[in-house]
Amino acid sequence: MARVWLAAVFVVLLTLASACSPTGDYQILYDQDEERSAKERHPDRQYTIAVVPKREGLDYFEAAKDGAFEAAKELGVNVLFRGPETADADAQIRVIEELIEQDIDLLAVSSNDPKKLLPVLKRASDNNIAVITWDSDTDEEGRAFFINMVDPETLGRHLMDTLAWSTGERGKFAIMTGSLSAANLNEWMHWIKVQQQEYYPNMELVEIAANNDSYEEAYASAVRLLESHPDLAGIIGNSSVGPPSAAKAVKEAGKQGEVKVVGLSTPNLMRDALHDGTVQVITLWSPKRLGYLTVALGKNLLDGTLPYDGQFVNKVGNVRVKGDMVIMGEPLDFTKDNVDQYDF
Amino acid sequence: MIFERIRRLRFRSFRLSTKLMITYLLLTVVPISILGAISYYQYRKSIEQQFGEHMPRTLQLANMAIEKRMDEFASLPDLIYSSSEIISILRKEDYGNQSEKLQDEFIVNNYLTRTYINGNNPDIIGVFMATPDRLFASTRMNYAGTEPGQRHFDLGHPLDENGNAKLLFPNELDLRFENGRPYLLLMKQMTDFDNRRSLGTMFLAIRLDFIESVLGELENPEAAEMWVMDREGAIIYHTDQTKIGGTDPRLGEYPVLNGSFKSFTGNEPRVVSVNQSDRYQWVIAHSISSAALTERTDFYRNVTIVVFIVFAIITSVLSVILALNVSRPIKRLSSLMKHVELGNFSVDLKANSRDEIGLLARSFNSMIAKIRELIQQNYYIEIRQKEAELYALQTQINPHFIYNTLETIGMAVEEEETEQVVHMVTVMGRMLRYSLGNDSRLVRIEDEVQHVRDYLVMQKYRFGSRVDFDIALNVDGSRLHTPKFILQPVVENSIKYGLESVQGVRIAVAVNREFGAASGKQDIVFRIRDNGPGIAPDRLAGLLATIRSNSLVHGKSGVGLKNVHARIVMMFGGEYGLQVDSIHGGGTEVIIRIPVIESAESAQELNQGSERHHAINPNDRGG
Repeated sequence: MARVWLAAVFVVLLTLASACSPTGDYQILYDQDEERSAKERHPDRQYTIAVVPKREGLDYFEAAKDGAFEAAKELGVNVLFRGPETADADAQIRVIEELIEQDIDLLAVSSNDPKKLLPVLKRASDNNIAVITWDSDTDEEGRAFFINMVDPETLGRHLMDTLAWSTGERGKFAIMTGSLSAANLNEWMHWIKVQQQEYYPNMELVEIAANNDSYEEAYASAVRLLESHPDLAGIIGNSSVGPPSAAKAVKEAGKQGEVKVVGLSTPNLMRDALHDGTVQVITLWSPKRLGYLTVALGKNLLDGTLPYDGQFVNKVGNVRVKGDMVIMGEPLDFTKDNVDQYDF
Repeated sequence: MIFERIRRLRFRSFRLSTKLMITYLLLTVVPISILGAISYYQYRKSIEQQFGEHMPRTLQLANMAIEKRMDEFASLPDLIYSSSEIISILRKEDYGNQSEKLQDEFIVNNYLTRTYINGNNPDIIGVFMATPDRLFASTRMNYAGTEPGQRHFDLGHPLDENGNAKLLFPNELDLRFENGRPYLLLMKQMTDFDNRRSLGTMFLAIRLDFIESVLGELENPEAAEMWVMDREGAIIYHTDQTKIGGTDPRLGEYPVLNGSFKSFTGNEPRVVSVNQSDRYQWVIAHSISSAALTERTDFYRNVTIVVFIVFAIITSVLSVILALNVSRPIKRLSSLMKHVELGNFSVDLKANSRDEIGLLARSFNSMIAKIRELIQQNYYIEIRQKEAELYALQTQINPHFIYNTLETIGMAVEEEETEQVVHMVTVMGRMLRYSLGNDSRLVRIEDEVQHVRDYLVMQKYRFGSRVDFDIALNVDGSRLHTPKFILQPVVENSIKYGLESVQGVRIAVAVNREFGAASGKQDIVFRIRDNGPGIAPDRLAGLLATIRSNSLVHGKSGVGLKNVHARIVMMFGGEYGLQVDSIHGGGTEVIIRIPVIESAESAQELNQGSERHHAINPNDRGG
């Protein structure tokens, strides 16, 4: 009996001793990772983001495509870049309809028409696809937010200024725009007119020529402008197709230096024209950067983050937000001095 | 054998005091020590646990503070984007001539100095901007070694694809600042946003004062050390300045990188808390020895131990005293018992306490006293009985009586009164036969009365008309019994004192059955009445006292009466015995009261019963 007791006491003491003494060199007191990992981390699903330009085949949108795919690679998302053959709303709707069938998570559209696209964008939303716009906006009910490259007022006024510097603030000028239904182009045009009316009374807008972002149409309309307005002092190309076509027409008409050409286009398209003096100043932003930003903000939206004012987007820089419009940055001016720094 | 020894060590064979002490230890000291030890260890553990949960959070906060500061630093390279001049220089890939290149270098260096070194960031001690073939640098102090950009481009150091800032630690670099100032190198890839190309890499050398100021804000007792190390264990900051630049070889062994653990690798166990920065990968570690952590507890523990020991000693002493208090009287009792066993009854177990021990001692004392008393009583009874028998013996062969009788017979022979002589001899012979005859102490009343009659007859022959007597036997003397020789001493006395008076003495003996108040039943009563001088009241009292006293009195006066009384009391108990009434000058009456003894057998039983009742003799050890 006594021995049984002794054994029992011994066992108790052993248990106590083992409870007090460490089993190894380390004894974990607290593990934060355990708690953290307990909180569920939703696995990174690979998103598919469809980016739709106004049309395919334009240098401007090709550059944007490069940026979008750069972002796709770096952010680990799947990007589909698909646009219509022409900058036409109906064609764009068809492209979007095809994309809706393809199990995409987000649709980023550079809209050819702010109104016509609304039903198809609504359908996309109904199919659980997030919709944003870039480059060119739709009415606001169609999308979550709009990624604009520059402040339209700043850009419109600045385009007017660049022409005014070139022509000495006098003379007739024409605007070559892409599509008359494209919201962004119309807004810029509006500010161009405002700036002219406010500061340049000696200048006169004689015509607005639409070209549907087609080189052929643009060239044709440029030729026609030069013919019908022999005393034309300058042309503002409101879309990236405009200035190269205008420059070509001016050059062929032998009016280099006589008819000033400014506007929005890519440095690659305008490099030669800038160097030979046909084109004075070209304004643009980096479409690559815009493409990258579109995909980056699209992914953020899918992750549940909306853009905010002053946000630093990796490899894009700080963006501004005005209402539901994201503004990527300030317009860049390309002249013959700096155009070689840019390769888009 | 071992079992034999164990058997001998068994609890039950221990002495009582040892048992009490062991019991005390088992019941108090051992459980309290175990309880104390357990609660101390548990408390200690919970302190460590609490600290272990608290510290990583604190470190996490510190880490967040440092990260925030780091983020601020990490955003500094972006300032360069605001200068299109610098961007365009960085975009340039080739130069026509040397001066143009140096001009650009001047511009960029100037810009770096203005923006970073002379900016409001005193923690930045150097800034390097490296492009594949150029290096721009501006530093606050002299430095030696390879500029970071060179080496890293040479080695193809992996740059962060996403353009996040990345930290380089001094041990990965061959760059030393003046005074061996500890620093961190923040590396950030600069991107040409517009062209989507790399512009180069900017390196900011940041001194570690800000880490110190953040860590300095943490409550940090002297005994603790804190350090920051990179993912390989290289220490970039340490509260002990001399350890900066060293490595923590155990980092790989750490079971957790966000949390805390107890390390047993050093001289003493330490509680180590660590937190790793998610973004920058450094690890902040805090290490404090368990002892320092539980210092205050240990102080209380020591106090408690001292108090406990003091109390344990005090209570142990008390328990020993108590145990001895209990066991000592018992030990003494057992030794006294031995004495008693050997026959020594004059022992006294002293006990002053009023508890059970005192009770026991008192009981023992009273028991011994009782035994002693009984022994004494028995002893005296025995002696008295012997004495009584001796006296009876003396009575039956009283030489004086025989002499006197023979003289009387002689005188009668001289006067030739033959008939009288024959009668006298016959009586004498009968008396002698009664005296010598059977040994039993009880005889028939008839015989006793006959004997006293014979005696009186003989006295009458001797003293003639001076002695007169009358005997009335009113009971069945042939059936009832009485002790032997109870009447003769009384009658002898009456004659002795009665003859002193002139006119002689008359003696009346009556035997009756009477109700006894003391015994509560019918008794046999002998009344011996004389008309002698009587006894003066004071002498009577003295005589009665003598008769009733237990003490042995030697001497003539009242010895006979006392002897009779004592024998009766001895045989039948205190309710029987002898009583004397006397009127001074008017005679004396002696009353002897005995129970009714129907037969010799019952008398025998009574005899034996009374014998057994007193049969305690000193040789009997009370089994």
